[in-house]
Amino acid sequence: MLKALMGIPGYEVTRGRVLLDGVDVTGLEPREKTRRGLAPAFQMPPKLHGVKVGVLLTHICRRTRCDPREVAKVMEIEHIMEREMGRLSGGEMKRVELATVLAQRPRVALVDEPDSGVDVESLAVVARGLKDLAAEAAVVVVTHGAHIARYIPPHRACVLYGGSFKKCGGFEVVEEVFVYGFKLA
Amino acid sequence: MTRPAPYGPDVDVTQFGDGRAPLEEGAVAAAAEMAGMSMAAAAYYIQADNAYFRYLSRFPGVEVYRVEEFVEAYRGWAKDYVWRLVAPDQDKYVAAAALRGAGGYVIRVKSGVKVKEPVLACLSIVRGGLQAPHNVVIVEEGAEAVVYTGCVIAPEAVGLHVGISEFYVLPRAKLRFIMLHNWNKAAHVRPRTGVLVEEGGEYVGYYANLSAVKSLQTSPRIWLGEDAKTHTVSILLGVGDAEIDVGTAALLESPGAAAELVTRAIAAGSAVVTMRALVEAKAPAKGHVECSGLLMSPRANVVTIPQLAAHHQDAMLTHEASIGKLAEEEINYLQAKGFTYDEAVSLLVRGFVTTDIHKYLPEQGRRYVEQIERLVVEKAM
Repeated sequence: MLKALMGIPGYEVTRGRVLLDGVDVTGLEPREKTRRGLAPAFQMPPKLHGVKVGVLLTHICRRTRCDPREVAKVMEIEHIMEREMGRLSGGEMKRVELATVLAQRPRVALVDEPDSGVDVESLAVVARGLKDLAAEAAVVVVTHGAHIARYIPPHRACVLYGGSFKKCGGFEVVEEVFVYGFKLA
Repeated sequence: MTRPAPYGPDVDVTQFGDGRAPLEEGAVAAAAEMAGMSMAAAAYYIQADNAYFRYLSRFPGVEVYRVEEFVEAYRGWAKDYVWRLVAPDQDKYVAAAALRGAGGYVIRVKSGVKVKEPVLACLSIVRGGLQAPHNVVIVEEGAEAVVYTGCVIAPEAVGLHVGISEFYVLPRAKLRFIMLHNWNKAAHVRPRTGVLVEEGGEYVGYYANLSAVKSLQTSPRIWLGEDAKTHTVSILLGVGDAEIDVGTAALLESPGAAAELVTRAIAAGSAVVTMRALVEAKAPAKGHVECSGLLMSPRANVVTIPQLAAHHQDAMLTHEASIGKLAEEEINYLQAKGFTYDEAVSLLVRGFVTTDIHKYLPEQGRRYVEQIERLVVEKAM
């Protein structure tokens, strides 16, 4: 769904529109959406063989005028800046992915499953990154486990099940999911 | 003089003149600059065609000669290092080099001497013709050296380059050798290289071809003694209608020998790039071959022929190979991170040519390799 929102080739919006500040951005190229302030965090970023973490962050920061070392510090990835993107563990990959979003300094971050396949320590770091992000941007998190909500409670939560929104509300919706699961919420 | 090489298009050697016409300093300096070479270096060898030679060494314990001078000065000793690893009758190119070649460097690093700054060498074809230098590097016991060689041709020249190279890495010595080729679309290139790494020695080789060439064929052979190690990286850029055929062979002849041969080929236009690599073990030894090809156009061709041969039960040899174009998924990902299409491709190509050679090189060598990687990406785009 987030890939369709971003307009990634192969993912199409078949119905409805994508509005950013009331402006229809549905048909725009991903790069143009990025330029306007959208930034996706992929669930499974591609391996990018040979591309070092530090090089990727530096390229992004050059455009947004951020300091890659500061971003690396927040996400606790200073020690893997020289590591290739294709040689990261699951937890490292999540932290690096969120670092790329922080570096983009977006207005709206679209974060896909930040809590899947992540150890407890990495999850805490990812949650801290999301909090930093939420201080300056709107953050949309898609999750199948909802664990991340324990670290960073959402202002608004929706349950998407069977192809449609079953329920939307405040944190009470998340609490309901914790007790009954998505199906019963 | 008529024996063809087993690989690569057959080139008529007789059509190339001897390249002995005198040259102007300015033309030589321009060619040297193309190869990233400076006469301000502490040790260097510059040869243009078969007519211009300058060389010196300011490093204590490092000697630089022209090969003829070396043979003349050390008549008894030189025969141990000249024409030992490359046979003059190997094929017609080597025969032409043996009969018509001129110049080439001899770099001798004396026992125990360790130099991290590179000895620079530039071999250029300025007016055209056959250029066949004979290069010898001798790193004596326990010594360490870095040699950077750039081979270039003037844009309008028509030439055949047959560089004969023999490297001797004596016990517990280390040689880091970086070679950059920068040819033009009319040039034919047939280097012939032999490397002997004796007990406990280490040879690290980095080779990059970064511009157009009509044809390039070479099959360096590396012999490894007991506990000797080699790590080589070849970056092959084929553009236009280039025919490139490169295959390094590592011969693990004694226990504990180890070889890692890495080749990355980028083919654009209608270029054909063939990567051959062979590791052959006759003892308990380890070897790994890695060949990766990147297709940058629909008409480009990449062929990988990795070979392993074990003649000892305790040998452990592996290989991996892949060919493909840049993954759309990776380009899309980078565009979603704000990169333009060209920026995304450039970053991915840079990633493709980046290897772990850096960890084997001293600071200045790393800088050379980084510069080469940048140039390869520029040319590939």
